[in-house]
Amino acid sequence: MTDGVARKTGRWALLSPRTRKNLSVAGVVLTLILAWELYKLIWSSLGWIRPVRPDDVVMPHVWDMVIELFRPVRRGGNLLILDLLVRSLWTLREAVAGFVVGGLIGFGLGVLFVRSRLAERAFMPYVVASQTVPILAIAPMVVVWGGAIGLPQWMAVAVIAAYLTFFPVAINTLRGLRSPDPNSLELMRSYAADPSAVLWKLQVPSALPYIFTALKVSATAAIVGALIGELPAGFQNGLGRALLTFSQQFAVQSKKLYATVIICAAVGIFFVGMVTLAERKFVPHRETLEPEGEMLARASAGG
Amino acid sequence: MRVVDAKGVGKTFGTGSESVEALRDINLTIDPGEFISLIGPSGCGKSTLLRLVGDLTGPTSGELSINGKPASQARSNRDYGIVFQKATLLDWRTVKKNVELPLEIMDIEDSAAADEMLDLVQLGDFKEHYPWQLSGGMQQRVAIARALTFNPSLLLMDEPFGALDEMTREQMQQEVLRIWDETETTVVFVTHSIPEAVFLSTRIVVMSPRPGQISDVIETGLDHPRDVETRESPEYYRKVTEVREALRRQEGHG
Ligand SMILES: Nc1ncnc2c1ncn2[C@@H]1O[C@H](COP(=O)(O)OP(=O)(O)OP(=O)(O)O)[C@@H](O)[C@H]1O
Ligand SMILES: [Mg+2]
Repeated sequence: MTDGVARKTGRWALLSPRTRKNLSVAGVVLTLILAWELYKLIWSSLGWIRPVRPDDVVMPHVWDMVIELFRPVRRGGNLLILDLLVRSLWTLREAVAGFVVGGLIGFGLGVLFVRSRLAERAFMPYVVASQTVPILAIAPMVVVWGGAIGLPQWMAVAVIAAYLTFFPVAINTLRGLRSPDPNSLELMRSYAADPSAVLWKLQVPSALPYIFTALKVSATAAIVGALIGELPAGFQNGLGRALLTFSQQFAVQSKKLYATVIICAAVGIFFVGMVTLAERKFVPHRETLEPEGEMLARASAGG
Repeated sequence: MRVVDAKGVGKTFGTGSESVEALRDINLTIDPGEFISLIGPSGCGKSTLLRLVGDLTGPTSGELSINGKPASQARSNRDYGIVFQKATLLDWRTVKKNVELPLEIMDIEDSAAADEMLDLVQLGDFKEHYPWQLSGGMQQRVAIARALTFNPSLLLMDEPFGALDEMTREQMQQEVLRIWDETETTVVFVTHSIPEAVFLSTRIVVMSPRPGQISDVIETGLDHPRDVETRESPEYYRKVTEVREALRRQEGHG
């Protein structure tokens, strides 16, 4: 990382912002791995056991976690990574379904609230209150009710993911829809624009950066919701189940748990990455629109 | 028919002890093709008067008619083009798309209008640029083009050049006069600058504060077309002095 800072005035500044960002992310990951291994090395050579015992059960080597992915789950079974990838698809399905439904509900609420102060005053307290109830308390209820009305298990889990998704989207949509300059709204008024024209031509485009910020938060939240939702649902096929099983067997095969955690993180990163790609497509940023040359000139002038 | 006809118009914001009387007893008529400047010290109600004319806010007393109709009717008929001090262009639209925005909203099919207007403000080469790629003065020209695409009969401008440097400002004044001449719109123009008001206007409405009132109306009577020569003529200086004195007189009162 210090390397990156030092180069900032030199070659670093010449890289495109995207490359710079990717390099920073890689730097962070490498730093974390390095910190993990260094801790292990120093603590075990000095015989320290606090705060965490640096043995191979509690803190396996990073490469051992990765190697574990390519071992069979059980004797004669599939490779762990294959098993986890199949589980990822199940969990992703729940998360994506919940994300889409929750996102739409959140957007709808944002639009409703910006249109009607009355609706905002009437429902906003409930929207906020909904998030004060811990998800762990909600999940079993949703599963029970979902079962009662004949919802497939995975859909019940999706409902939980939606529950975590809609809130940030609703709040940010509302903020974004309120973000246009008052003069812009007055211009719309002077064109005698009807409310839907104001919404789609001014407010929604202005809100897109806000909405995507929320969607990125929600993408992770939807995965968390799906993982947590799988537990009370007794859903056997997803990553949540694998996390539970392996954590119960932590003492004997901690590497499997860590490997699963890595896959969970990868799934989260993948999902957020997809949302980020969509953002690049739908939210034209100045940086990406600017001709490359000007950007370089500015970057080197600004230092 | 009068473009603007205000009889005893007043505007008070808020109620009770918090209320502010922004305008009192405004009587003003504007004929088609006039170029009217509103000038006066800060807070004397220039913007408020402009906003009343444009139906962005309603009067609390008196009568106001625009092109022989209530202001709200004029607004639904799309009689107003408005330009603010900030260009307020939409960042995600190109220059051309920005200028086409009013047409889209009004469902007017006129593919040539935006191009014509951009040529009129001399930005024909920047149609596909984005607003943030333009200078402040260019952005303001886009805002003017946008206000004119649908041929409003009345152009309302609130300190449109307030944020520009002196050179750009004089250039823009020249352009606005040319546009006014070519389009035959009526213009109501708010400004803090005495020379600007004199150079541009057919009549200057001088206002005084607390509450906002019209203290003088001054005909400029300068010949058209106006150019650099105009700015150096004795008549021009005389008018500038006259407006300055009108403004100073009310300081004595206040
Ligand atoms: N929306 C509002 N609510 C309450 N008071 C307002 C509002 N708009 C304007 N006023 C008050 O009305 C008076 C006139 O304001 P206005 O903006 O019309 O002045 P102005 O002549 O345009 O000033 P400036 O030259 O600084 O732009 C001021 O005292 C102001 O505080
Ligand atoms: Mg003002």
